[in-house]
Amino acid sequence: MKDFMTGNHAVANAVKLCRTPFVAAYPITPQTAIYEKLSEWEASGLLKGIMMRTESEHSAMAACIAASLTGVRTFTATSSQGLALMHEMLHFAAGCRAPVVMANVNRLLAAPWGFWADQLDSLSQRDTGWIQFYCENGQEALDTVIQAYRIAEQLYLPVMISLEAFFVSHFMEVVDLPEQEQVDRFLPPMDLPHKFDIEKPGFLVPVVSSELYQEYKHMAQGSMDSVKEVAAKVDREFRKEFRRDYGIVEPIMIEDAEVVLVTAGSITSTARMVIRDLREKGHKIGLLKIRLFRPFPVEAVRDALKGKTKIAVIDRNISLGSGGIFCQELRAALVHSPEHPLTFGYIAGIGGTDVTPEVIQKITFNVMSRNEATDAPIWVMEE
Amino acid sequence: MKTNSDHSFEFVIPISYGSTEVIETGKWGFQKPQASFQTAPCQEACPAGNPIPQFLYLAGEGRYDEALQTLLKENPFPGICGRVCFHPCETDCNRAQYDESVSIRSMERYVSDTASNQLPNLKPIRNRELKRVAIVGAGPAGLSCAYFLSLLGHQVTVFEAKKEPGGIMRWGIPEYRLPKSVLKREIRRIFNLPIEMKTSINVGKNLSFDELTGFDAVFLSPGARLNALLSIEGEDLKQVWKGGDFLERINSREKATLGRETLVIGGGNTAMDVARSALRLGSKVTVAYRRTRNEMPAIQDEIVEAEEEGVRFEFLTQPVKVSLLKDKRMAIRFQRMRLSDPDQSDRPRAIPVRGKFITLEADRLITAVGEQVDLSWIPQELIKDGLIDVDSSPKIFAGGDAVDQPRTIVTAISSGKRAAISIDLRLRGDSCDDVFSKIRLGNKGSVSMEAYLSGRDEGKWPSPKDVISYDRINTLYFEHSKKINMRKINLDQRRRGFSEVNRGLSPEKASLSASRCFSCGTCNYCYNCYFFCPEGAISLDAFHQTKYVDLDHCKGCGTCAKSCPRNVVEMKETP
Repeated sequence: MKDFMTGNHAVANAVKLCRTPFVAAYPITPQTAIYEKLSEWEASGLLKGIMMRTESEHSAMAACIAASLTGVRTFTATSSQGLALMHEMLHFAAGCRAPVVMANVNRLLAAPWGFWADQLDSLSQRDTGWIQFYCENGQEALDTVIQAYRIAEQLYLPVMISLEAFFVSHFMEVVDLPEQEQVDRFLPPMDLPHKFDIEKPGFLVPVVSSELYQEYKHMAQGSMDSVKEVAAKVDREFRKEFRRDYGIVEPIMIEDAEVVLVTAGSITSTARMVIRDLREKGHKIGLLKIRLFRPFPVEAVRDALKGKTKIAVIDRNISLGSGGIFCQELRAALVHSPEHPLTFGYIAGIGGTDVTPEVIQKITFNVMSRNEATDAPIWVMEE
Repeated sequence: MKTNSDHSFEFVIPISYGSTEVIETGKWGFQKPQASFQTAPCQEACPAGNPIPQFLYLAGEGRYDEALQTLLKENPFPGICGRVCFHPCETDCNRAQYDESVSIRSMERYVSDTASNQLPNLKPIRNRELKRVAIVGAGPAGLSCAYFLSLLGHQVTVFEAKKEPGGIMRWGIPEYRLPKSVLKREIRRIFNLPIEMKTSINVGKNLSFDELTGFDAVFLSPGARLNALLSIEGEDLKQVWKGGDFLERINSREKATLGRETLVIGGGNTAMDVARSALRLGSKVTVAYRRTRNEMPAIQDEIVEAEEEGVRFEFLTQPVKVSLLKDKRMAIRFQRMRLSDPDQSDRPRAIPVRGKFITLEADRLITAVGEQVDLSWIPQELIKDGLIDVDSSPKIFAGGDAVDQPRTIVTAISSGKRAAISIDLRLRGDSCDDVFSKIRLGNKGSVSMEAYLSGRDEGKWPSPKDVISYDRINTLYFEHSKKINMRKINLDQRRRGFSEVNRGLSPEKASLSASRCFSCGTCNYCYNCYFFCPEGAISLDAFHQTKYVDLDHCKGCGTCAKSCPRNVVEMKETP
């Protein structure tokens, strides 16, 4: 069924379709609409289960972890400062191998204060052990939530789905809402082999020896590595049921491209249009969308960019003192490529500034004009 | 601690099935919670020292027998106080500052009427030496003193001038406020103790005062049964009755013919009892009082009920002369008064408006302008300002309306209780000065018998408790609600006869009413501390009323103290 809705409501719909019986959250702009929608559905009975209104994001995540370990599907949503406050619990979720699914609406981090799109909030959490997806639009956010539960519950790892503030969270688009039976077929009820059991009381997070700690981290890294394979398989199965897929990365018009733009999130949509126009004018431009960020799909990226001469990564985030974070990761992934392409990092769209087709075109012409490696990030700002 | 895995999940995360109790995290803390019960303002305000939060908690749980037993530790007359008390407890109730006070008096009545076991665990203490105490006057003060002295193990003989015990409760208060059956029930409970009762004994006539001194101690509580005079012309006409005599006739079921219109002079509780009784006998009633409604000393509820029933009021009038008219009616001439500056009692003085008089006519005039003590049989050295004063005599004690204190049932009960403690201390050869400051409930004069008993044998009393003020209540845990009032019989029934006006609370309302109590300073097992304790170190048992803190695992975070709505939990530094 097609419906017209915001990215936030698309996410809320996914949570409902997944029959998530436990939601714990705290409202924060621009995520609040997810919270409100789920709250409304809980009140009207459409959302079966418990919607816990916690006093902070930290508590929301703590509640999700505890509930998850009793063997139920859990969900929370947050943004920016809320995610930062949750930080400590993010490590606990991953460390406890709790398959919590969370939507994060990418919003800049204070200070100064603001509400606008910026990916630094979730990228700052890249080392917490969470799987991270970046979505281009509401449809993809909805579909990724459904896929996320499959991945999380198979590997016992938490998943964060990011969608940008306003450009995705508040933008209304036509969304194809899956039928409940389809989702039920694709996503069976959560059935963990491990559940907290009142009959056999135990407790988590005991003190362990150095060796044991190391062993658990090693195991978790093993699970993280297998995400790429599992996510790709889940995506293929998703296609069978819903006739849509995304890939963990998506190469667009890349085979004969000399210059490749690399994007994540909503900038990808604009870039799709720009490269189509430039190709009509004879420029051999391609596009690579990165959807799965953690674990970073090193092999897929390397394969896609094999033989390319120049790459421009557009980052709506900045790791101060270094550069765009996607660019860092990409450069690290390509370090073993035999003919390492020149990789330029462009910073655009920081703090929610608009990345228009003109901006992307400007980046494209800029990268075509460059023939020497540049380490520092290249800021694209209005003059 | 076992962190090994025997299970797929435990392979990916460590899970322990051992107990966390092996780590005594409680040793990290520098403070520990302590349940320290404090005094509620209602209890401080109650002259009898009723354990109000405790009895309301038990009543709220439907444990009425225990609730009654709790009340009887401090007050032998819950059924009577639950009806006729002027309830200062409700005035001081912390909840009154939040929305409306708890209906404590109605609840006391409810518990007293509902308990199935009316003779709960009342067992006198056994003393080594048996001492004899004489009590003169079986009113609320005398009976309360007899009750507590008997419980304290002394042999008590009560001398009563009238043919039945009860005093003002028997001969003064009309049935529509206090049914005789309730009085009987409470008196029967007292005489279930080994107390000797001698009625129709008039000290000074058929028993000499000196004979009393043969006892080890004497308590004088003869009440104030002489009616004060107006001291005006015509007062001695036979159509002019005295309030106390009139009430006694009614309470003896004697015939009293009033005529069509009755005029009552006075503004206190006797005046209200007289007016409302006269109304019930079919007369039209007007009350004349020299100040205004605001200054009337009667209990507010009585004034309101009198008004509801149709008693008329003529304020700012002072009688100056009564004269007989031809048709056997009377003309009563009043000086018109006005209010002026406050007097010593802080009430505005009533002063005459020069040259202004009014005359009212009536078939019957009943005066109720105060009562005086009959001192004819009292030795001179025990009299001061028209009252009994026993300061000069070590073995004679006194209380009730005959001494210098407010004249209410509950203050009389309180004086009997205090005297019982004083007498007990004297008979045991202890000094009293110090003890009363240790067993006090707050700072308004009431004392705790429970505290007295706890220290009586060893001479060690707990230190007095704080009174919990409103700002120490965590009101976040309470929803606003209205005070719950008793139902009343309809006005027609009220005007026609002496049936009890208040019908008491329904079981549902009683339960609701009990649950409104903030339980200031008293644990009522709300389980907040239990739920909020992050360490799970608190155990409670509401049924046996026990509390336990696992100090090996309490880190002293203070969450229990913060989350206690009623300020019972206190954090104390560990040494």
